[in-house]
Formats: sequence, structure tokens, C-alpha cells
Amino acid sequence: MDITWGAGAANPVIWGWLIAVYLFLAGIAGGAFLTASLTDLFKKNGPAKVIRSGAFLAPVAIIVGLGLLVFDLGRPLSFWKLIFNVNFGSVMSIGVFIISIFTVLSLVYAYLVWASVKVGGKVQVRVGRAASEAAVAEAGGTAGGREIVAILGALFALGTATYTGFLLSAVSTNVFWSTHLPGISGVPFLPFLFLVSALSTGLAATLIGAGKCEDLTLYKKIDIVLMVIEILLVAVLYASVRSVFFSGNLAVLFWLGVVVIGLLLPLLFSLYGVSRHKNLVVPTCGMVVIGGLALRCFVVYAGQLFK
Amino acid sequence: MAKHYAMVIQLKKCLGCQACTVACKFENKVPDGQYRTKSPAIGPSGTYPHVKVFFEKQACQMCQDAPCVKVCPTTASHYNKDGLVLIDSHKCVGCKYCMTACPYDARFINKNTGTADKCTFCYDTRITKGEKPGCVSTCVGGALLFGDANDPQSEVARYLATHRTEVRKARFGTRPSVHYDYEGVK
Ligand code: SF4
Ligand code: SF4
Ligand code: SF4
Repeated sequence: MDITWGAGAANPVIWGWLIAVYLFLAGIAGGAFLTASLTDLFKKNGPAKVIRSGAFLAPVAIIVGLGLLVFDLGRPLSFWKLIFNVNFGSVMSIGVFIISIFTVLSLVYAYLVWASVKVGGKVQVRVGRAASEAAVAEAGGTAGGREIVAILGALFALGTATYTGFLLSAVSTNVFWSTHLPGISGVPFLPFLFLVSALSTGLAATLIGAGKCEDLTLYKKIDIVLMVIEILLVAVLYASVRSVFFSGNLAVLFWLGVVVIGLLLPLLFSLYGVSRHKNLVVPTCGMVVIGGLALRCFVVYAGQLFK
Repeated sequence: MAKHYAMVIQLKKCLGCQACTVACKFENKVPDGQYRTKSPAIGPSGTYPHVKVFFEKQACQMCQDAPCVKVCPTTASHYNKDGLVLIDSHKCVGCKYCMTACPYDARFINKNTGTADKCTFCYDTRITKGEKPGCVSTCVGGALLFGDANDPQSEVARYLATHRTEVRKARFGTRPSVHYDYEGVK
């Protein structure tokens, strides 16, 4: 208490960096899974390294993220109560189920990809294509199963990535988090922003993990589209909320972390890289990933520091 | 008729003595450095001869449309049979979602239990025994009134019927049960 009998102000930051990193990792996991599974499902002879990288990255990211979430609980060992006490009106309660199912599916998918690598010496790229009858038989007919897991997992990956936005936007008493799409009240803004950021960071992290690949032109093009959409969304956010949210220490995080490192530089690098086929994948993707982390931190803190 | 417990705070009668803050601490064994209620000074504001300072008792506002209850994933935060917002500490995992949702900063994670904690209107320890909450019975200036607002004969109901009172942060539509009478201080 201070001298005028005012109690010392409580720390306004209730959810700190642990939660920001958790939201970021959940996005990476969702994006990586989508990158791998969609390649697996739709791209004939898609790069096996990309499938493998995304399939392995997804469960690791989501499990580390969940670990942070549980660690942040006031009573970490009671986390299982989240599964047995359900509140359908609570976004977090619904999210627990989406993420749990996604985690299981991502583990199964990673196993199936791993198994097919072991059997075939390389990933049987197109699902269902029997490169060698014996290999498929040995893999226990997993190719068809993998297709189903890939489809279901992709749906729950979308759910997971979007959920991280809904978690914050559902706090209707938080002016920043509950920002609506301009002109359309009732449609929250953050789920869109976080979904696009999840796709782009997840894709970027997957490409880093894939290492040197033959032809990444398609992925680079998708990444450019995602970055352009994200720049538009961030601009909309900037224009539709009070400027106080972008002030103080958060100004650096926003302008340098989110805008310059996360969006503008990688966009320039990508445009250059695509046209010249220069191998700028790792620096570009690294910046996208850092930018995604900066975005989560910025949103989590801005919503709590300024009310 | 269902009960609706309510509190009225007459700010002009509050001396800022913090007897309520202390009474609550021992009534509810609140850990060191944490508070279910506190009455910080608002101000001083203005310039002489119009300098003003008053003390605003802050605690859970016992919202009837409580954002904390809505977001709680485990239903640990709930309305009890008398319409009060309470926390079932056996269900609470300490996720702090309720704390992000409460516009009044009324909640904290109890250092000893790891679960969410806040003012209960002293429901279990006093109300159910027919007593008034700890802070109300100890208030030196007689600034705090408490009772069933649905009982027209009660002190709070009569006060609310005859005075102009406000709820804090009405823009959030939380319909608090704690009413502030700023007459004489604002
Ligand atoms: S004041 Fe906060 S903790 Fe109390 S009922 Fe309202 S929202 Fe919940
Ligand atoms: S901290 Fe406890 S009471 Fe608050 S939302 Fe989480 S589970 Fe519910
Ligand atoms: S009603 Fe009880 S719990 Fe609430 S502030 Fe007063 S003494 Fe504390």
C-alpha cells in the first residue's frame, strides 16, 4: 500500500509470455500440420522432406505448447479437471477438446509418416499410390489410413489455429482482444489474424525443417499470398483500434518485430527469391517465424496493458 | 422469492481507514500481499480550493451477468443458489481466464491454493449464519450496507429505492450487485 492508502496496483498482465508462446506454438503446429497433410493429399510427388518436416514438427510444437500452458496454471497437476468439467459456453473448454484431438491426430500422423519412411526408405509421397506392393503391405495398409488421418487432422489443425484467436476474442470485456471485423459486429477479428499467421509461420517452420529441397516455388508463392493477406489484416487492425495499443514499449515490438521483421523484410526477400530462384528460404522463413512470435506477444500484452 | 444479495457503498462516509481491508484479511485468511478488497484513494484531484479525495472500496461486484462465469472452462466459477458468483476451488485449475475477463480486477490466484480467489460476500462464513459480511460489520464510518435487495423491507432495498446510485463500468453490461453512492464526493 502506498501513503495515500491506495493498494499497490496489481500487475495488469495476467497472461504473460508463457501463454503468448503457447498460442504461437499452437499456430506453428496447426500450420505445419496443414502444410504436410495438404502436400500429402494433393501434390503429386510433392517433396517428401516437406511432409516429413511438417508431420514431425506439429506434435512437437503442440506438446511443448501444452506443456507451457499447464506450467502456467495455478495448479498444474490439476489440468485433467479441464477434461472432466465442461462448460460449453467457454471457448477454452471447447478448445481443450479441439487441441486434445489435434494432438492425438498429429501424433498418429507423425507415426504413419515415420513408418512409411522406414518401410519405403522414403515417404510414399502420394497417399494411396503403391510404389511397391510389398512396402505398402508391410506398412500394414497405412496409406489409406494416413489419408483419413491427414484429412481429419487438417480439420482439427484449422480448428486449433483459429481457436488461439477465439480464446482471446471471446473476452468481451477486453476492448483490444474482442475487436470486431470492421463494419461487421459479431465477427471477431483475431481468429482471422491468428489463422493467417499460423499458416504462414507453420509453413515457414516446416520449410526450415525440410532443409534443402528441389522445388519450393509453390510454397514460396503461397507464403507471399499469406504475407500479403497478413499485411492487410494488420493494417486493418491498426486502423480500427485506438493508437494507444501501439504505444510505449509495445511500439518497438509491433513496428520492428511484427511489421518489419515479420512481414516486410520476408515479403521483399520472397519476391526476390521467387523471381531469381535464390535460396533465401532459411533467412526468410526464420524472420516469418520470429514475426509470428512477436505478433502473439504483442496481442497478448497490448490487450492487458491498455484498457 | 429468490434472494439477491447486494451491497451499497456510501462513499462520503468512508474515511479510508482500511478496517474493511484488514477485516477481510482475517475473516478469509487471505495470503500476504493479496486482497479480496481494498479501498484505494481516488485523487487527490483538482486545485485548491476544490481539491477532492475519496476512497473507493473495490472488490468483486457480484455481477449478475458475470464474464468470469461465462469464460470459466471448468464451471468452477458459478452462480450459487442465491445468485452469488462463487468459485468451487476443487474444480478450479488456476487457468486465469476468469481474471482476464473480470473488468474490475477483483480476482487473484491465491498463493496458498493455486486457485482463483475473490470476495464471496462472506457467504459460507457469515451470510449463511445470518450475519453481515466481515467488511460491513467492521466498517467504522457506517459506509457499507448489505442485505437482500429483493426484500423491499431490507436496508439496501430501501436505500436503493430512495437514492441515486451507480454501478462501476456499466458499459460492460455486467449488472453488478454492488452499488456506489458518489453523492458528496464527486
Ligand atoms: S466483479 Fe469480476 S469476479 Fe466478480 S462477478 Fe464480476 S466479473 Fe466476476
Ligand atoms: S482460474 Fe479457475 S475459476 Fe478462473 S476460469 Fe480458470 S478454472 Fe475457472
Ligand atoms: S464481503 Fe467478505 S470477502 Fe467480500 S470484501 Fe467483505 S469481508 Fe471480504
